[in-house]
Formats: sequence, structure tokens, C-alpha cells
Amino acid sequence: MMRQTSRKVGGKRNLIFIGTLLVLGLIVLLDIYLVDRILEPMGYFYLFFVAVAVLYGVYPLHANRRLTRYYWERTKRHRLSVLGLAFIILLVAVALIGPLLTQDPTRVNFDEKNVPPVGFTIQQSVYDLDTDKFLVREIPGTYQHPLGTDDKGRDLLAMLVSGARVSLQVGLLATLIAILIGTIMGVVSAYFGGWVDQVLMRFTDIMMTFPFFILLVFIIFIFGPSLVFIILVIGLTGWTGAARLVRSEALSLRTREFVMASRSLGASDARIVFRHLIPNVLSSVIVIATLSIPGVILAEAALSFIGLGDPTVTSWGMILNAGQRSLDTAWWVAVEPGILLFLTVLAFNFLGDGIRDAFDPRSQL
Amino acid sequence: MHHNILEIKQLKTYFFTRSGVVKAVDSVNFGIRRGESLCLVGESGCGKTATALSILRLIDSPPGKIIDGEIRYHDEDLLRCSGKRLRQIRGHGIAMIFQDPQSSLNPVFTVGDQIAEQIRMHLKLKRRPTMERTLHLMEQVGIPRARERMKDYPHQFSGGMRQRIMIAAALSCGPEILIADEPTTALDTTIKEQILDIFRDLKQQREMSILFITHDLGTVAGIADRIVVMYGGRIAEVGTVYDIFDQPKHPYTHGLIDCLPDISARSDRLTSIPGMIPSLIDPPDGCIFSPRCPRSMMVCRQKRPKEVIVSKEHLVACHLYS
Repeated sequence: MMRQTSRKVGGKRNLIFIGTLLVLGLIVLLDIYLVDRILEPMGYFYLFFVAVAVLYGVYPLHANRRLTRYYWERTKRHRLSVLGLAFIILLVAVALIGPLLTQDPTRVNFDEKNVPPVGFTIQQSVYDLDTDKFLVREIPGTYQHPLGTDDKGRDLLAMLVSGARVSLQVGLLATLIAILIGTIMGVVSAYFGGWVDQVLMRFTDIMMTFPFFILLVFIIFIFGPSLVFIILVIGLTGWTGAARLVRSEALSLRTREFVMASRSLGASDARIVFRHLIPNVLSSVIVIATLSIPGVILAEAALSFIGLGDPTVTSWGMILNAGQRSLDTAWWVAVEPGILLFLTVLAFNFLGDGIRDAFDPRSQL
Repeated sequence: MHHNILEIKQLKTYFFTRSGVVKAVDSVNFGIRRGESLCLVGESGCGKTATALSILRLIDSPPGKIIDGEIRYHDEDLLRCSGKRLRQIRGHGIAMIFQDPQSSLNPVFTVGDQIAEQIRMHLKLKRRPTMERTLHLMEQVGIPRARERMKDYPHQFSGGMRQRIMIAAALSCGPEILIADEPTTALDTTIKEQILDIFRDLKQQREMSILFITHDLGTVAGIADRIVVMYGGRIAEVGTVYDIFDQPKHPYTHGLIDCLPDISARSDRLTSIPGMIPSLIDPPDGCIFSPRCPRSMMVCRQKRPKEVIVSKEHLVACHLYS
């Protein structure tokens, strides 16, 4: 007779994914207990992200080329969402390659402080030691610092490029963690129902009311401010909305006959959850993910702005904070990261809207 | 004596709802023989589907629960075997197809994938033989250009074609018994005939037993070897197709057959059985059909009728014959 091994559940892809997770976990353990620093903490996040993106993003898109083309055609009809996507791709490219090309964003040079961006000239009063008087000097923007410098003479272009990397890291990784937890919570809760549903949803309620800010302050107090912790805290607390949305979606899927049909043909609970329910909620999950990235990016910026961010990395929130102190002498320091933040959030929102309309079979585009 | 490959004994499936306990299946007994098609007939809400779902333990719990009984398949009691064993039997020994072909296929996978899933799951075949088998199945249930259509998604098929796909998926592992829960109800008449043809072919070629659930007596006459008539969660009458149509014993069966429109009699109105379907929450004492029964007697309201053998294959649960 036939034997059903639980190993087979969910197919080869999930197996590879779980394998990758195990290997990563093993390296983390090695890193902590045996060897010193195989990878920086962020490195693990990257590997994790790449594993998820390839196995559940690139591979299925490649395998279902026809479907991919169909969705792309539909997304494309949203002019703004294509614009948003272009901006995001540009931003990712800048974040990946930019830091190699720009100057050191942390290099302080007081001789070149408050230099305006190219094309602008400002007047600065400088105390002259020889004459013991204040002189008014014209300072023009230079190509050495195309976007100007801040009050410590740091190159703003370099800082913004570094900030793009931080924002994307936080936005993508924290969202990925949140979405993974939220999806599994939601689907499991909806599929099993009864007390499982009760327990998971009440836990979600508690997490929802839990003040994430206090948790973060607490963790920063214990472990010190670090980008890794910020990502983890945002990710581990931010899944509640996704869990609820996915649950409501999965609840309606569960009553569809194909779930009963696959049960009647011998599918196990795990197979139904991973092979039948999750792929069906995936389109909403992608939309939720895209639309929650801007919130996460803003949350990180807000944290850095009030000084709870990682002080070792230059993020947009941090530049904003520096900028608001010198708003009267150097307006560009605050305006530039502000514009970038605004555009990034807008781009993700546009893309999210476009994807939502593309995935919604009811919308006749 | 005929050998039953599936034997349902004293099956009781109740649903525990807020307004009370619904006795959807109340002490039902019947057996399915090898290679026969058995029709389970009755009006909506009489417990046909609940019976079918109980066989594979697919009743949603809560609110439903199989209270008591035995479902004997070969030497095993399906109500008492392990979950793992049950999953092996589902699809491989006993397969099931459902009423609505619109929603019984997963919209995000190609139909070929969904047929192949069963084969991989139960038979553990390699990639190529799985593909070959899938293709063969699709051709067998009459899907034109099967090789190309394997890669299509469910929404690219019509209702009848989708039902064929479901049948192919259910047949993929060569089950001994196929439970078909109103498989033609959602289809139009011409398509319905084609699907029934597939069932007839299957029965002949594969010697498969079919448990066919329907409320349409026309369909029953076309496909059944034997018929089980259910009313109010209980069995009213069991017999061969000739027994039931030519010599119905139970007043309810009489009523059902009288309801069939007669093409030779000119009449403006269709006949119907007076009264309402009984509530299964507080069924009346005695015979559950007695409030609507034209021939009801004193005893009918007091004692539940026993099943009486009226001829070799013919059973009826009615006080008129005891």
C-alpha cells in the first residue's frame, strides 16, 4: 500500500527552503558559540531574504511565465505603479552599488560645513580671527558635494545613499518577517478554526495592543541600539494586520469545495495549508506586503529621528533630525531626505495599488 | 449472497447547532457491492450528503459529529482507523467528487497539476509516468487536446469540462468506490448526459462501485442498479431500480415517483407531496414521514418503523408492511 510521508508535504521547494533555514540557523549558532563573526548580523538577513525571494518570488514567476506576463500587462496599465516600480528599482540599485562610489558618509570636515547643493549659493557669516569681525561670505555649491554638506561637513549625497540602503533593509526585511508570520498565523487560524483560531487570534489581539514602542525602547536599553534589533522588533510586532487580513481571506477559501475535494482525495492538513490555501492568499499577501513597506520605512525614520535608531548607520531619519536643528542655516539638510522619504513611500504605495488592481479579478482595467 | 465492499451500519451523524441537535443521519444501514452503482435519493436536507461525507469522515467538526455506527471497508472500520490510514484510503480506495465544478478545483494551479497531485501523493510515481497517467486520464474522461489543456487553469474550462477534470482527479489512483455527490446538478441537461455516460463507462470498464447521490429521479433511472431512498435522515426504502420504480412500497417513494412529470398526461400543475420537510432537530416520535403521509395510522406516530424485507432485494421501513 502507499505510504504518505510528511516530508513530501508542500513539495521540493519547501524542503529546500527549510533546508536553507536550517543551514542558516546552524551558521548562526556556530557564529555565536564557536567561531567569531562569520558574517555580520545583517548578512544572515540578506541570505534569508535572497532565499525567500528566489524560491517564492523569482522561481514561480519564471515557472509560470504566461501568468507573469498577464499580471505584468495588468500592472502596466497603471501608469503610476510602473513609475513607482522604476523608482524602487533605481533606489535598490543605488542602495546596492551607491556606497561603493560615494565618499565616506561619516567623514567630518568642518572646513566644508553647510555647503549648499549645486546651483545654490548662500551667505554665511564667518568669524574672522585676523580682523576680529564677522564677515559675510558667499558660499556656492560645488560639484565635490553635489547635494551639499551638513553642519559637520559630511557629504549629503553619501549620507542619503547610505540612508537608502538602511531604509530598504528595514522596509523589506521587517516586512518579510511580518508577512511570513502573519500569513502562517492567518491561514492556520482560519483553517483549523475552533480553539486554535481562538488562541491565535486572541494572541494577535494582545500583540496589536502591545505598545511596540516601549518594547523597542526596552530592547534598546538592554542590547543597545542596533539595526538588527530594530528590524526584528518591527518584524515581530508588525504582523498582526496581515494575520487578520489573511485569516479573513482564508476563512472564505476554506469553505470552497476544492479544500473539501482535496481532503476527500487524501490530502493532509499540512498539504492543504501549504499547497492549497497559502498559494491562494498569496496575491493579497503580496499586496499587503507592498503596502506595508512604506509604513515600516517611516517607522524606522521616526525612530532614528527621535534618536532611537542605530547611531552607527546613517539613515534618512537621522539626517532629518540633524537637518531640523539647522533648518535656518542649511535648509537642504532636512529637505533632501524628506523628499526622498516622501518619494519612496509614494512609490511603494503606487506599486501596491497597481498590484492590487492587477490581482483583483473583479477590477476591469 | 452479494459481497458488500462497503458496509454502513447504524450510522448516526449529528450536528450540534445553537438551536439544537440536528440528527442529519439517524441510524442508517446500507451496503455497496462491487461494481454496482447505488443511488442515494431524497430531497434537500434529507441527509444524503451528510451520509456521504461521513463515509470518508469529512464532516466538519464542530458542529458535526459522527456519534455512532460502523463503516466497514474491507476489514477496516473507517470510523475508527487512524488519520494517516484514512488519508491513504481517501482518494486511493474511496474517492469523492462534488456538486459544484466551479469551486472544486484550486484556481491557482493548472488542472494537470491537480490530477497529478493525487498520483504523486498516493502512488509515488516518478515525474514522467505521472504525466503519462494524467494525460491518459484526461483523455479517458473525454477532454479534447488533453496534452495542451493539461497546462491550462481551471477558469479556462467550462463547467462540464471542469467536472470531467474532477472525475479524472478522483479516478487517478484507481479507487474501488467513487462517491459522487450530485455531480450533475450544476450542469445543463446535455452536459449532464455526457457526464452520466462517463460514469456508465467507468462502471463497465473498471468494475468500480459508484455511490451516486442525487435528488433527480430521472438521473437515477438512467444510472442506478440499486436505490436507497432517504427521508429525514433515515432510510425509507432500499431496492433495485425495478423494485423502486415499478413497485414502490413506501408512501414517500410513491409520492416521489408521482411527482415525476408524465409526458402523456396533460396537466397544468406538477404534483407535489403535501407538507414540509420535517425539522431534524426535534423529529416526531414514530415514523418521521407520518405527518405528511397519506396512509398514516395510529402506530406511525408512536413507533419508529423497522426495516421489513418485502422481496429478495427490497427493504422498506414502513408500518404498512409489518
